[in-house]
Amino acid sequence: MQQKKICMLGAFAVGKTSLVRRYVDSIFSDAYLTTVGVKIDKRVVTVGDQAVNLILWDIAGEDDVSAVRMSYLRGASGYFLVVDGTRAATLDVARSIQRRAEDEIGSVPFTVLVNKLDVREEWTVTDGDLAELERAGWSVMLTSARTGEGVEAAFCALTERMFRPSPAAC
Amino acid sequence: MSVPPSPRGSASDVDEQAPNGDRLANLLLGIARYVDPAAAPANLAPGSDPSLDALRHILLDRELQVLARVRQTLDDPERLAKAVGEVLPLAVLRSAGRDGRLGEALAPTVERATQSSIRKDPRTFINILSPLMGPTIRKSIAEALDGTLQSLNQALKHSLSWRGLVWRIEARRAGTTFADVVLRHTLVYRVEHLFLIHKESGLLIRHVAADDAASGDPQLVSGMLAAIQDFVRDSFGRSGDTGLDTLRLGDQVLWCEQGDVAFLAAVIRGTPPETLHGTLRDTLLSIQDEWRDALVSYDGDDAAFAGVDDRLRTCLQAQAKPREQRLSPFLWFLPLLLLVLAGHWLYERRNDQRRFDRYVERLQAEPGIVVTGVAKRAGVWRVTGMRDPLSVEPTTLLAAAGLTPAEVDGHWQPYLALDPALALRRFQTSLVPPPTVSLALDDGEIRAFGSAPHHWIERARGLVRTLPPGSPALDLSRLEDPEMAEYERVRRAVQSHVVRFDHNVPKPAGDQETEMDTLAEDLRELERVAHQMRVTARVTVTGHADSTGKDTPNLALSLGRAEVVRSMLKARGVDPDLLAVRGAGPLEPLKPEATDEDRSINRRVSFTVGIGD
Repeated sequence: MQQKKICMLGAFAVGKTSLVRRYVDSIFSDAYLTTVGVKIDKRVVTVGDQAVNLILWDIAGEDDVSAVRMSYLRGASGYFLVVDGTRAATLDVARSIQRRAEDEIGSVPFTVLVNKLDVREEWTVTDGDLAELERAGWSVMLTSARTGEGVEAAFCALTERMFRPSPAAC
Repeated sequence: MSVPPSPRGSASDVDEQAPNGDRLANLLLGIARYVDPAAAPANLAPGSDPSLDALRHILLDRELQVLARVRQTLDDPERLAKAVGEVLPLAVLRSAGRDGRLGEALAPTVERATQSSIRKDPRTFINILSPLMGPTIRKSIAEALDGTLQSLNQALKHSLSWRGLVWRIEARRAGTTFADVVLRHTLVYRVEHLFLIHKESGLLIRHVAADDAASGDPQLVSGMLAAIQDFVRDSFGRSGDTGLDTLRLGDQVLWCEQGDVAFLAAVIRGTPPETLHGTLRDTLLSIQDEWRDALVSYDGDDAAFAGVDDRLRTCLQAQAKPREQRLSPFLWFLPLLLLVLAGHWLYERRNDQRRFDRYVERLQAEPGIVVTGVAKRAGVWRVTGMRDPLSVEPTTLLAAAGLTPAEVDGHWQPYLALDPALALRRFQTSLVPPPTVSLALDDGEIRAFGSAPHHWIERARGLVRTLPPGSPALDLSRLEDPEMAEYERVRRAVQSHVVRFDHNVPKPAGDQETEMDTLAEDLRELERVAHQMRVTARVTVTGHADSTGKDTPNLALSLGRAEVVRSMLKARGVDPDLLAVRGAGPLEPLKPEATDEDRSINRRVSFTVGIGD
């Protein structure tokens, strides 16, 4: 059985936990996030003909008083940087976290998830911002934790990149 | 490595004579002949063709030069060492990655080198090993001490109990130590889960569980365990191989053994022995040794770790609770019987105590009894105190309290109680009142009611006078004395009698016979009453004379008149001892004498009744 560790990173209250909640098997309560700073969930996907357990480390969001505990990233095969589309500042947080993540675990696949697609009209993250990210070679996907839009695809895409060059079919 | 033979002289000649194009054409022709004998002259033997050598020279010229350089390198030890030194690290790395043969080949040499180094200067190795050995030895000693303390604690805890005694016998029979037996009986545990977790990523490498042991998703659990390890390490600023050792939740305990690439988490129910730490660590180390490469390059694929499960299962130990021996119904009955007997004994004892308390209560309530001490010795109650002899006999109270005389031993000091009830009893005992008298307690005082013979009343009065101060008094004022009343009546009757005399005559006047008879009768009555009262009556018979004549003869006459009356009364059956005579002469006249009538009244004999000894 193949396992991969994936981390959910991002500013405080961007919807990391909501994004995985509808997507995973979970045995731990959200209280772990505020106590230990991480909550671990699991999602089984199929890559080719092989089942893969994605172990999702939902890491407590970063805010002014507490930084992301980088030791939780060790051994991760990929990570999501979640951004709240309605709060442009969370994009800066994501950039900052990405730099620190790369320092900690090196270059591993990651995807920026711009969340809250269901309220697109309220977004302050502009298309220009997204284009800039893509120019920098970042993978950017738009999601809505509320409607589930884009979530499945985002997980598939990241898993696929982790297993490259093997073909992914999930 | 061989060097090709040098071309022959003839071939060199051809080379030098013909231009290069012709030389190559000739050579090709020769080769063709050589390959196909039909197209070649038969006199040419294979290998001896000089043109072939020439061709080799043309084609392999550069390689021959390289070979020559290699040969020089090989022949010169200095250059050879330099060349090998450059590739050796890479070669060793590759070889180690492929299989273990290099290790096997090097092992004897390394061992010899190590031995030689240690012989030469052990300090080098001590310096190398001490950072590694120090913590390991410390940890090992700490665990051994923990184990010893654990066994000591258990042994102490159970050393004085009944179960402890049984185990002591068991230890002696089995020829083992008491502590071992205690541990075996008390450390009931079961290793329920083992998680082999990749240290860096927190991914679960392998998980084994005891049958029927339940837990959440092992992959999630192991992730969380790793996260908590990181959390604790980060929070307390520790790094390296340290981490959470032990977590306890109710009767479950989680033990973590830290390795350098993996850690082993064991979920144990119950109280495991400290020695289990050693087992877990040994298992982890052996797994790390055997699967080191796979562990170092672990990327989430656990295919390489199939054999690990068997290794882990050796740690799924359990110490079962010793099977309780099934008791026969009789053995169940025995404690029940004992319980009933004990209950009965307790009930009896309590009852016994209660009965005795009741007895003492009754004793205390009795006037004239003071209990000063109680005790129970050898099944017999002992009561000590003071008791008025007239109080109730203590043994008579036993039956009412439900006790038998054999159960109680009384020790009583006699004393006189001033209690009114006791005083009443004492009066009754000492005075023996006649049936007509009743003694009773009335408002805290003892009173006598009814009527009593005079002598009894006198005796009671005498007793009352001699009572000690503070004693309850006996009130006799309400007691009637009928004898005294009778006496008074008779006394008055006797004293009312007057015997008349004629002038200067000692004998009573002639008309005084009847008077004398009734007088004698009254005196006899007095005699009887006095006898009845047990007193001695005294009747003084006083003779009187009138004042005519001289005093001296009048005195003699009056005494004579009294004596005559006594004689006459004696003659009428009156005891003469009752009567005392005296002559008053004319000194005690009834009336002043103015007339003969007055003088006649004064001439008389009168009677005075008294009670005397």
